[in-house]
Amino acid sequence: MTELRGGAAGHRLGFGVGLRNQHFDHILATQPPVDWFEAISENFMDSGGRPRAVLRRIAEHYPVVLHGVSLSIGSTDPLDRDYLARLRRLADEVSARWVSDHLCWTGALGVNSHDLLPLPLNEETLEHVSARVAQAQELLGRPLVLENPSTYVRFRQSTLDEPAFLRELSRVTGCWLLLDVNNVYVSCFNAGTDPLDYLNQFPFDRVVQLHLAGHQHCGTHIVDTHDRPVSSAVWQLFRQAWQRSEQAATLLEWDGDVPAFERVHAELMRAQQIIDGDAPAEVEAAPRPRLDSTEAVSTPVAFLVPEIMSNSVVCSS
Amino acid sequence: MNVGQDRLQWLQRWMLGALIAPDGVDADTIAATLLPGPKLSPSACLAIYQRSYILRLRKCLEEQFPASCHALGTTLFADFANEYLRARPSDSYTLHELGRRFPEWFEENRPDRDQPPERRESWIDFMVDLAGYERDLYRLFDARGHEGRPWPDMLADDGTLILQPCLALVEYRYPVAGYYHEVRAGRSPQFPIAMHSYAVILRRDFRTHTYPVTRLHHRFLSLVEQTRHVPASLEAIAAEAGYPVDEVWRSWRHEVRRPWLEAGFFVERTVIEG
Repeated sequence: MTELRGGAAGHRLGFGVGLRNQHFDHILATQPPVDWFEAISENFMDSGGRPRAVLRRIAEHYPVVLHGVSLSIGSTDPLDRDYLARLRRLADEVSARWVSDHLCWTGALGVNSHDLLPLPLNEETLEHVSARVAQAQELLGRPLVLENPSTYVRFRQSTLDEPAFLRELSRVTGCWLLLDVNNVYVSCFNAGTDPLDYLNQFPFDRVVQLHLAGHQHCGTHIVDTHDRPVSSAVWQLFRQAWQRSEQAATLLEWDGDVPAFERVHAELMRAQQIIDGDAPAEVEAAPRPRLDSTEAVSTPVAFLVPEIMSNSVVCSS
Repeated sequence: MNVGQDRLQWLQRWMLGALIAPDGVDADTIAATLLPGPKLSPSACLAIYQRSYILRLRKCLEEQFPASCHALGTTLFADFANEYLRARPSDSYTLHELGRRFPEWFEENRPDRDQPPERRESWIDFMVDLAGYERDLYRLFDARGHEGRPWPDMLADDGTLILQPCLALVEYRYPVAGYYHEVRAGRSPQFPIAMHSYAVILRRDFRTHTYPVTRLHHRFLSLVEQTRHVPASLEAIAAEAGYPVDEVWRSWRHEVRRPWLEAGFFVERTVIEG
């Protein structure tokens, strides 16, 4: 049940891109040189239209990983068994290498915020989440991969730091981890802690995947916006994370103001340069944050909504 | 549920309430629940979530209702969207359902809802219909369809024809489809004058088409939807409309059958059911 890392392909999928609606046609037409794609589970699991058909075609040519935003593993609402059943069917259909989501809750009392909300990290929450991870893995028939979220608050109830929480969670349940390097930087800045300490504490032996993304520095805080290039500071952390995770599958997320595929791909390829040691991150020891006057949206989700207007025509009958 | 889960449940309900109705949380509870950040107060930390919550979901509604947003203007649409999201927060794991109740909520919360029907403002009727049309389009975009399966040709037996799965029969008080596609073309159309309109919306080859039809054709296709049998529906529409059955069959065979088959109105029951 919990086997994932190792084996024939293991966690070394190479460098991948988050699959976005805007890029469907380009990917189908050109089959770009990307090692793998990550698809947002909720965009495809109920699809009876083009999105699912496109994902099936892409899965014929590339390894696919499913990444969810609504499992709500930390919620006090019951786990949604119907959601998990649909997710399992999709994962089977596209031979997903693994299925991931976030250490968070997204709603309660049947209401979904569509945000990745933080949990107080303590022994009680650990017990609560562990039980739900075990249940979810049973219903999915595969291990779960959980990601550290970006956070903007800290709870007085918290008694554990995030690496310790995730280490124990993965030990107890056998789940694997997705380390979002940008989220580490964002959360640590917002909490006033050191991201290198975070990495030093992190259970890298459980990491199968890394995330990269851009953020907005607002001076007093950083917002996880996924709408711009990866910052130099995050590239520096990435190099360490990639080495410590033994070359975990690396993925670039670009969700707001999504540019042409070539631009996203070019940003992804910087990861290889970083690893090779000839990238700007090497020389930019003390990156200066760019300050923006207007705060952008954290965890943008509009990219999950397909643009349908261009797909519609009115006819004479 | 143990004490820890009780505490977690309280916290989650409190925080969710703080996102949906930011004015309803007091600073003392925030300070008792959250630590300050290095440069921000606990309230300012929470406000990051509060701001993004409404902006994020409002952006999604704008994406799902682009013509409604165009018609109302961004500011007024944002006001409606804010109220809608507060009154009907998302109840689904998928954002595709976010706008499901928007047309209905629009109707229920129209500013002139206390006025008698004859004194109500017509532009609101138009907005309700336009939102309904956009919702129909959005739903059909990703509904289960017939792509990848064979379509009937002209030799198909009428008795085997049923409506295809990704099709909706709709009627509106305004010609909203024309308005929508004018917006799509980048133009700024005037609000149309009231005109009851009937249409078939369907998806074929992953493209959504709107076909205006007559009231009689709409009724006939509704009968096909109910009976799943074209010949019986032709007999029924003839009886309802008071037309000779032979005339109705002639119209079917020579006027609408070919264009409707070519457009993808029908599939063969045997293909669907095996």
